[in-house]
Amino acid sequence: MKLLAYLRALISALRHRREEDNDLDEEFRAHIERHAKDLERSGVPRAEAERLARIAFGGYARLKEECREERGGFWFENLWKDVRFGLRMLHKNPGFTAVAVVTLALGIGANAAIFSVLRGVLLRPLANQDEDRLLYLRQSATGNDDAGFSVPEIKDIGAKLKTIKELGTISQLDFTVVGLGQPREISAGVADGNYFHVMGLKPVVGRLLNPGDDGPNAAGAVVLTYRFWTSALHSDPSVIGKSVRLGSFEGARSATIVGVVEPSIPYPVETQIIANIVTSPHHLSATMVEGRVHRMTEVFARLAPGAELESARGELNTVYAGMLTAHPEVYSPNDHFQLTVTRMHDQINSRANTILWVLFAASGLLFVIACSNVANLFLARTVRREPELALRSALGATTAVLRRSLLAEALVLCGTGLLAGVLIAAPMVTVLSRYAARFSARAVGLTLDSSLLWIGVALASIAAVFLAFVPRLPSADTSKGFGISSSGVRVAGGSRRRQRIFAVTQITASFLLLAGASALLRTLLVLQRTQPPFEIAHVLAVNLPVMTDGRTPEQVSEFYQEVQRRVATLPGVEHVSASFTTPWRDAHSLGLNFSFAIQGAQRENALDDPRARFRPISSGFFETMGVPILEGRDFDERDRKSAERVVIISQSVAGQLFPGQDPVNRELRWTDPVMKFIGTSVEPRRIIGVVPDLDDQDLIPSAAMTIYQPSELEGWYGQRLFVRAKNDPYALIPAINHEIHEIAADQPVEHANSLEDIRAEVMTPDRLNAVVFGGFASLALLISIVGVAGVLAFSVSGRTREFGIRLALGASPRNVLADVLLEGLVIAVIGVTTGVVAGVFSVRAIARYTADFQMPGALPLIASAALILAAGLIASALPAARAARVDVVQALRSE
Amino acid sequence: MNPEADLLPGTLDLLILKAVSLGSLHGYGVLLRIEQISRGALQIEQGALYPALFRLVRQGYLKASWGTSDNNRRAKYYELTASGRQRLRQEEASWNRRVAAMNWALGTEGVQS
Repeated sequence: MKLLAYLRALISALRHRREEDNDLDEEFRAHIERHAKDLERSGVPRAEAERLARIAFGGYARLKEECREERGGFWFENLWKDVRFGLRMLHKNPGFTAVAVVTLALGIGANAAIFSVLRGVLLRPLANQDEDRLLYLRQSATGNDDAGFSVPEIKDIGAKLKTIKELGTISQLDFTVVGLGQPREISAGVADGNYFHVMGLKPVVGRLLNPGDDGPNAAGAVVLTYRFWTSALHSDPSVIGKSVRLGSFEGARSATIVGVVEPSIPYPVETQIIANIVTSPHHLSATMVEGRVHRMTEVFARLAPGAELESARGELNTVYAGMLTAHPEVYSPNDHFQLTVTRMHDQINSRANTILWVLFAASGLLFVIACSNVANLFLARTVRREPELALRSALGATTAVLRRSLLAEALVLCGTGLLAGVLIAAPMVTVLSRYAARFSARAVGLTLDSSLLWIGVALASIAAVFLAFVPRLPSADTSKGFGISSSGVRVAGGSRRRQRIFAVTQITASFLLLAGASALLRTLLVLQRTQPPFEIAHVLAVNLPVMTDGRTPEQVSEFYQEVQRRVATLPGVEHVSASFTTPWRDAHSLGLNFSFAIQGAQRENALDDPRARFRPISSGFFETMGVPILEGRDFDERDRKSAERVVIISQSVAGQLFPGQDPVNRELRWTDPVMKFIGTSVEPRRIIGVVPDLDDQDLIPSAAMTIYQPSELEGWYGQRLFVRAKNDPYALIPAINHEIHEIAADQPVEHANSLEDIRAEVMTPDRLNAVVFGGFASLALLISIVGVAGVLAFSVSGRTREFGIRLALGASPRNVLADVLLEGLVIAVIGVTTGVVAGVFSVRAIARYTADFQMPGALPLIASAALILAAGLIASALPAARAARVDVVQALRSE
Repeated sequence: MNPEADLLPGTLDLLILKAVSLGSLHGYGVLLRIEQISRGALQIEQGALYPALFRLVRQGYLKASWGTSDNNRRAKYYELTASGRQRLRQEEASWNRRVAAMNWALGTEGVQS
């Protein structure tokens, strides 16, 4: 409606303008007539009087123009006229228009899309109330940048703080949930009663946890996250008040669902439900409450009113340092224990930060390239229009008027580019937010908003103004070289220099993008080429969450034995075994590593023992993975029945601790103080075998010290089943499901994937990085090729006469060809050189702010440079060929 | 010497305001009035009058309206607005100050008629 009213006003204004124009004519004519009459009265003949009056009046058209301008408010009306003129001009040059609009659309669209994502992920405030006063505490030590906190540590730190109002704690745990549809394993948080208050979150339905839910005598209470409630439970309000059984590794407890929390970012781990402490027997055990090194809790804090982040940081670090000195037996100086306090907002953004800003910079470069390209085309066209502009200037158009008509044309171009850009930006936001979701939970469910449009408008306006002010205009002083002669195009030196600068800019920016993309591509290629140290294509990994409810540990253990026995009999199955962890996927349990010592070793200090990865596995695990046993033997039935404790060690443990000796039958024991809290014995264990280093954590395998012990003992169940298939592993899933449900109907069977796919999934961020940046770089390269080709084509057409003379004087076409090719090459070389210099400087500048940014290796740089040079040659080939084919007679006659 | 002096830059507006202050005029009339009150000593490029008139209208010092002329034709008349009158007074004062200062500087004070 508003738009309609505006249009109506505009139309009436335009109609009104026509009247005023007539008035102007009438006024001028009246003036001349009166003057003529006066002259006539003084004796000048009628015809002569009219002529003299006209001369005395001055340049009619110019004065009219001047009056129009003085009238004010006219500027925009004229702009509208110019816009229509621009539309006609663009319509007459469909090729130019199409290239310019597509280029602008890409530049504007990519930037608008990335900025939308950037805004949604990094800049938007969190849903938490007063989010800028919400802090996240992290304890780190050498080799563990997120150690978590233990309950005694939290007590020490949290007591008597002045700058902090409250602490809220939460620890991640997987519950096997019975009572919400199919029994399944659900990632959960166990939180204290302050947690939600500190986080500043409100319930959507029911209530959240409060201090009344703390303590061993409280009733079990569960809060659902909004996402879980809406996606898994279809926003069913009747689940409130429902009773569920939550099974964790020390037994199952009942709990009531009390509410749903508002949509918020689950941090640091994705949790679907949040329960009070009483639901996890482990959280109430002495292990948890008294173990200073039993760290599994995350701590959040809220600044006290009036306190600042810096003062809180200072106070917390003082308290923390006091705690470190009070317990020297736990905090070895070698481990460099350290406390960091950050705003929750910054902490959540930390991973996405660098990536998104780099991406933003990349899209900025793309915008520069796009604008340079269009500026070049625009410049070329303006030079061609010089006769027209000169004519208008002679007829009284001022520089401002000509500038305005250029601006109008640029506006038309950029406006069309904006429309197309917004159209392509919308799907780009979807793709990009899926990409960003890999780095930040905040990108999940990111939606389009009007900011996209505003950014697009802003960019388009910048581009339009830039375009309009790039071309040189004819000055009133015609001696400066703009002739009205229509004999052809004379390229003004200034325009040509500008065009070249834009071409070099494009090449520079494309080179930077290309270098970045090829560095990422190389990382990806290295990852893909790297062979994992074990069989992955035919091995299926299946999660069988532990169901402890109503079963003794022996029964649970027997269940896993039975599963392996029965699946092994299925046709198409080669080997079956089990482990506590799935390679690459189970980040949490893959991180388990404990310190140990070999029997008879000289130990200075229990805190400086070597650490090894801890992997409980079933017998046959190495066979399933296709890994040989180098020395000794695999686990077997004996090891589970007998009282003797045994382990298998990896090659690097053998090499480092038993250099030049036979490790088999020697003994080692866990010395990690955390062992006593997790129910694992510190008795000596006999080494029965040595296997190759089998890195199941990193994509690029490294020498990983690993110690294996038999699963099903000491509470470490083989909850991950590995099935090696003869053919397609996925074909076995229905049969495996069937067998397992025959044994236990309510056993969840989840996440069945081949190890190959699991590895590919871990590589996805790298692949996406390469794809996104590669996409940017190829777009940039494409635009630049068009740009360089355009500059050269233009330069060739301006030099037709020169080529004609040279050919007439006996130059061979090859000389002319080489000349133009060289011109293209020179642009490319200058561009690449500038790119290298700019790249070195920007990498240095960035490296000052973040450590995880390195100069790409020489190979990607050389490859990109070669590609750019090749592109330069390709771009100049067509114009060069045209120059060599110049018809001498035509060229000379055209002057 | 040439009896017609070139117009000093910026003085055209002042002259127009002065001419119109004596009664509403059409464009040609303004021209004649200026010639008359300057006793023919100041010559203006005729057309240049109009952009200046339009400017003064936009600035609100003049008001333009269509009326009927002496020979019964439609004509556009200009007259001074209140703010135009105020502006004229200011301009006159500042002009006099400038002239006095110039006279002082050139040592022609008192010598001249």
